[in-house]
Amino acid sequence: MARNEGGSPILSQQLLLGVAEELKLPLLQIARQAEQGRLTGQTDLRLIQETADGALRLLDNYALGVRLALDPEHLALESVSVSSVLYNTGQQLDALAKNYGVELELNIAGRFGPVLAHRQGLEAALVSLGAALIEGLPAQDSPQLKLQLATHRSRYGIVAGLYADTKQLSSQALQSGRRLQRRSRQPLVNLSHTSGAGVFVADTILKAMDLHLVASRHHRLYGLGTVLQPNNQLHLV
Amino acid sequence: MADILLIEPDRLLADTYLQALAMAGHSVGVCVGAQAAIMVADQTKPDLVVLELQLTSHSGIEFLYEFRSYPEWQKIPVVVQSHVPVTEFADSWDLLNKELGVVAYLYKPQTSLDKLVKTVNQQLAVKA
Repeated sequence: MARNEGGSPILSQQLLLGVAEELKLPLLQIARQAEQGRLTGQTDLRLIQETADGALRLLDNYALGVRLALDPEHLALESVSVSSVLYNTGQQLDALAKNYGVELELNIAGRFGPVLAHRQGLEAALVSLGAALIEGLPAQDSPQLKLQLATHRSRYGIVAGLYADTKQLSSQALQSGRRLQRRSRQPLVNLSHTSGAGVFVADTILKAMDLHLVASRHHRLYGLGTVLQPNNQLHLV
Repeated sequence: MADILLIEPDRLLADTYLQALAMAGHSVGVCVGAQAAIMVADQTKPDLVVLELQLTSHSGIEFLYEFRSYPEWQKIPVVVQSHVPVTEFADSWDLLNKELGVVAYLYKPQTSLDKLVKTVNQQLAVKA
């Protein structure tokens, strides 16, 4: 088990268990879609491929979180455009969002200078978070299935996150989920019907980069994201 | 043909189960959560309920307590099909079976569409 400087567990067996539980869902979807195809003679290969891609992405992001936490010395920071990271995140989540009937919106209006970050880690955290929210939103009986990838300035820095019209995206839900992660198979009970592993993988990756997963408001929407510090030196250059 | 109420929070799985049950000749109403399921049950008067226990906000167990509190729904068979292994209910199977009327428990990762349809048909036959 890796530990951060404060000595608290970064990578826990609970997270690994959560990822394992989470992976059951896409594997089950693939198995049943294949069975359905065998029974009807019509197999939706595109859906099977996209479902498998989603599972691989979760595994990749988990592995990245482990690597970053185990070897923070090699965390290569670079000047990163938040808008570009959000755009790439949206591209990676597009197929999943369509399959779940969730409308994905990109709101990167405004000029934001570069931030100093680990691009791959930041993208992986946002993709993990987004995938978990996309799968969780339709299960909330919510009439509005929209998820917005957005960035805005706050007094703490530049916030990049994912926002929806649901009050369940709150710091209370996040804190309660972190506490329950050790004891419950459904720690984010108001957000997700699964283990919510994508949220905790995002949490782990951000922690490894000395960032934090936080609740945030944007316009009238509720969301989760992270606060990034503008890289003023590079901005001047 | 019977009216089935399918309570399944995952949209992709719900579509697959719906198709399989519809192919077996049943009429299927799908709900993602417990609250909506109570309302749909009131409108459609289902002959059988297929229920996932891990739901968002209100659990499947909460649904069962609410569902069974109405006299007209006390005899409707409920088939649990869940990600939660039945071994986790080893100590409370009597509660699920005798008090909450769960007539069959299927562990989702090990339940094929064929097995689901067979179980539903068996329970409908028992009810008839």
